[in-house]
Amino acid sequence: MKMTEGNDRYKYNKMMEILRNSKPDLIQPEEIENEVIRKIRNEDQKTGMVSDFIESLFSWVYVGWVRRSLVGAAVVLVAVFIYQQGYILKQVRNINERVVNIGNEQVSVPPSDFARRLTLYKMSTKLAPAGEIRVSEKQLEELLNSYDELLVKYKDLIRIIEEDPALKQYIENKLNEEGNKKSDI
Amino acid sequence: MRKGIKNLIFKKMKNRKLRLIISVALVMAASCNDPETVVTNIVHRDGSVTRRVEMKNAENKFEVSNLQVPFDSTWIVKDSLEINENGDTIWVKRAEKLIADVDEINSYYTTDSGANKGISRRAEFRKKFKWFNTEYNFSEIIEKKMLYGYPVSDFLNKEELQWFYSPDNLNEEKINGADSLKFRAFNDTVDKKLEKWYIKNIVSEWIGEFTALTGEKANMDMVRETLKQRENEFVAIVVKNIEHFDSLWSNGAMLREFIGEANALKYKTEADSAANVAADRFWISYKPYKVRTVMPGKLTGTNGFIDSAGSLLWPVDSDFFLTEQYKMQAESKIPNIWAWIVSGLFLLFVVTGVILKKRKGCLES
Repeated sequence: MKMTEGNDRYKYNKMMEILRNSKPDLIQPEEIENEVIRKIRNEDQKTGMVSDFIESLFSWVYVGWVRRSLVGAAVVLVAVFIYQQGYILKQVRNINERVVNIGNEQVSVPPSDFARRLTLYKMSTKLAPAGEIRVSEKQLEELLNSYDELLVKYKDLIRIIEEDPALKQYIENKLNEEGNKKSDI
Repeated sequence: MRKGIKNLIFKKMKNRKLRLIISVALVMAASCNDPETVVTNIVHRDGSVTRRVEMKNAENKFEVSNLQVPFDSTWIVKDSLEINENGDTIWVKRAEKLIADVDEINSYYTTDSGANKGISRRAEFRKKFKWFNTEYNFSEIIEKKMLYGYPVSDFLNKEELQWFYSPDNLNEEKINGADSLKFRAFNDTVDKKLEKWYIKNIVSEWIGEFTALTGEKANMDMVRETLKQRENEFVAIVVKNIEHFDSLWSNGAMLREFIGEANALKYKTEADSAANVAADRFWISYKPYKVRTVMPGKLTGTNGFIDSAGSLLWPVDSDFFLTEQYKMQAESKIPNIWAWIVSGLFLLFVVTGVILKKRKGCLES
């Protein structure tokens, strides 16, 4: 039994040795060789093109003055960017601090305008020599008070009209007619 | 117009009190018909401006002669009847137009026949390319009326100036709100200083105009110098005798005091003419309104008031352009994204080049 097993192993080893020593029988070995060499050459060519392109693209780094100029330009660009954005941020912050509630937009004759009129009225005889007009602050104040009273009465009138729909309708119609006649725009 | 009516009344009426009442009533009546006007400029990147004029009036009266800001039939005009916040019925006229450039706005101002035709107004637009951002600058400008006046900043401090240029409703809110006594006192102080400013301006304008009218006349150089040197004295006399200024002027006492007896007689006509010119420049025929501006991009600078929505507002009061040009200015910036990308790529390129060189240097060494 042991003899048979030893024999088989011997035969197996012998066959493996024969197979290892036998070379493949190629039909056209030159063609295969050429193909392999061509592929390797192409690969080299591709790598060479990319590196050439990168080399030419960055060739400026080997020219001292160009390199220094471009680096300088880049630094200036960064500095300008930082300055501009910093300045804008500062301005925006200042603007935000100045935000006020403007509220409604009642446009009236400003008090300062009235004060100027008053000053001129006080001196008006001089400034309008043809007239003999003298106006005291008190007189003007009285007039303004009358005006205010008139305004109050006007508001009362408006309220009365608002409370009476028929009257309101009538007045609105009249106003519309009047408006259509007089409006020149 | 108001001044024209006033002068007409002065000439026609003999009764002093009646004249006064009618002239003031006319002023008041004119004020009643003044529409409350807000002009809104929406500025676009290309310099075109969408301009909106909103006028509110208690009556449906929007006569051209009463309008503060010009527009014409080429605008889209809409009328409506609305209820305001006080519950009052008001008439609203809205006019809007996309205006090609500021020159068109300026041509409207030039041909204006409205209430403010007497004042010189213009708009300016500037666009500045600054690589990372483009800067936009829009201004509405009103030229000064008085030639020889003093800036209001000579009379008011920083706080008072802020008060002076604030919209009325802001000041009124303070006067009627907490610390009302403090604000009333502050307001009175500002008013007093303004009255001094008015008088100084009239005096200065009179001196300037008198000097111009007397021209190259002999012996006037000294007189002119004296007048200018004694300007403050002149002002002090006017302030002290404002109620009697009339008689001081008409009897020639003021002129005699400052330019001498002989010159006072000789140049009485010029002195009166100069006073009239000074009064004309001081008395501006003008109806107030407000200007709003909306800028493209991020707002970066303005001398106006800003609300929480980023909208800008300027009140336009005749005092603001009495002695100085009033410039309502706004500045904004828009980032140029393409410039940011180009700059980023450039930086990457330079940094890569430098790194490659260093690496090669290391390998070689």
